[in-house]
Amino acid sequence: MTQDSGNLSIDFLVGFTIFILAFIGVATMIPGILIDLNAHGVDYDAVAYRSGVILVEDPGEPSSDLNSWETFNDMQKPNITRFGLALSRDTPNILSQEKVDRFFCTTFVYPDDYHQKVIFGDYPYQFNISLLDPDNNLTRSVGDIIPPNHGYIRRLVKIKGPSNATIGASYIEAHHYYYDNSPSDNVSTHVFSILLNNTYLLNAVKDPSYQINPQKEQIMINITDLRSTIKNQANPQLINITLAKVEVYRRDLNPLGTYQLDLMRTFDTPRIDGNSTPQLPPVSVKDNVTLLFNDPHFISQFRAQDTSLYINLTFNLDQPGTFLNNSFSSPFNYDYSSANVTQPSLRNAAVEVSVW
Amino acid sequence: MVNDGGQLYTIEGVSAGLIMLLTAYFVLNSTSIYTPGDSHINDMQLEVLGYDALLMMNTPANNTMVKSPLQEIVEQDDGQRFKTMFMNLTNNKTGSTTDRLQFSANYTYRIQTASTQNATASAFLSSSRPYTEGEHAVRVTKWVIVDKQLGSSPVHNRAVLVEVLLWRDA
Repeated sequence: MTQDSGNLSIDFLVGFTIFILAFIGVATMIPGILIDLNAHGVDYDAVAYRSGVILVEDPGEPSSDLNSWETFNDMQKPNITRFGLALSRDTPNILSQEKVDRFFCTTFVYPDDYHQKVIFGDYPYQFNISLLDPDNNLTRSVGDIIPPNHGYIRRLVKIKGPSNATIGASYIEAHHYYYDNSPSDNVSTHVFSILLNNTYLLNAVKDPSYQINPQKEQIMINITDLRSTIKNQANPQLINITLAKVEVYRRDLNPLGTYQLDLMRTFDTPRIDGNSTPQLPPVSVKDNVTLLFNDPHFISQFRAQDTSLYINLTFNLDQPGTFLNNSFSSPFNYDYSSANVTQPSLRNAAVEVSVW
Repeated sequence: MVNDGGQLYTIEGVSAGLIMLLTAYFVLNSTSIYTPGDSHINDMQLEVLGYDALLMMNTPANNTMVKSPLQEIVEQDDGQRFKTMFMNLTNNKTGSTTDRLQFSANYTYRIQTASTQNATASAFLSSSRPYTEGEHAVRVTKWVIVDKQLGSSPVHNRAVLVEVLLWRDA
């Protein structure tokens, strides 16, 4: 007797075969699906990490004392090999204010300049680089709006702020930076001298994080309360004060073995009485003069890293009298004394790099 | 007798196969499977952040400061100051929201006992909230030189290892 029990139906065989084939097909796709999902995420995170390291741990290229990328103008952009915001290779996470300012300036073009000098790679990445500066309540950024899925890194850093000096009434009084109130001192031209001893500045403190380096970093000198130094006039407010010139001298060794002062050039951008716009001397002054050396070329062009610079301010009064004058005492020394100079300080900040 | 036993119901079979194939493909394609290959990226980002934070805390703000904030914190066991500084540093980010990082910190130092000269002891420093061991935390460390009496040793400069467990709240 013929029975069909124990036989597999063709329907079952065909259906099961299709299922197995489908299962095998899908199973072979799984690695490809996961690799595809992971590949971009890993890549973008890696690029963000790499870019973050370049920015906060590297000073960029070139970065020598006399030839650093942040001093290059727009015509010199092709000479910049790599952006890097660190002060030096020995100071990771300590950023230079000058480099930060140059990096976020509007004359660099997004994405081309930044892609070639900090992101790197052939893939046309889009990115956003931001710097959070909470002490100044400031966020600076370059790049596109960040989409939901992107590679990301956040680095905590400190930014080295500039040093500055304020020479006010109490300081002038304590250091006798005015002629004594005697008739022989009644002259109408007075010179006040400021000393930048670069040899001392670069050797007394070796750590770039705390060093005063006029050749690479901004320095600012405020001279205030000028009329308080007019002591032998009944009404100092009636005296006209003119800042005649500001000259920069370099101290050099001459062939005779003695030192001499060589006039290098004039400083033509003093700021008068709190006005943010520089004014070319001679210029009338009420009470305050500010000298802001923020042009990176101004000091470095003198090649004065192994010598001293003297900044001499010449004032004219319309009536002879005592005034700010240290030509017969000693120049104001811009040094590491906190009584003279507000020292460079480090403030917290964060750099964020997003890549997609 | 002719019946339909053993006949291939072609349309039903092929349709069922295609439906299963499409279902499996869509399910797998729409599911993001969290693998160890992904988690190391988050761990790396947390480690970098924690390391940076300890480095910044161990950097004096200017050259008139003799000691870094982290040195002062360990010497004075000032856990509240550590918490404030560490949370401010690590949770600060651009945008309107802050990060959700939590931490637990202690420091470890070497001690000498009668039985051994190579023992270590730890002291709790601070935490933003208790670590329950359920969090996925990373560990960051920083060697700090402090002038402090630890154990039975006299006061002198010595190295302690500051350890921070760092994790992100969901």
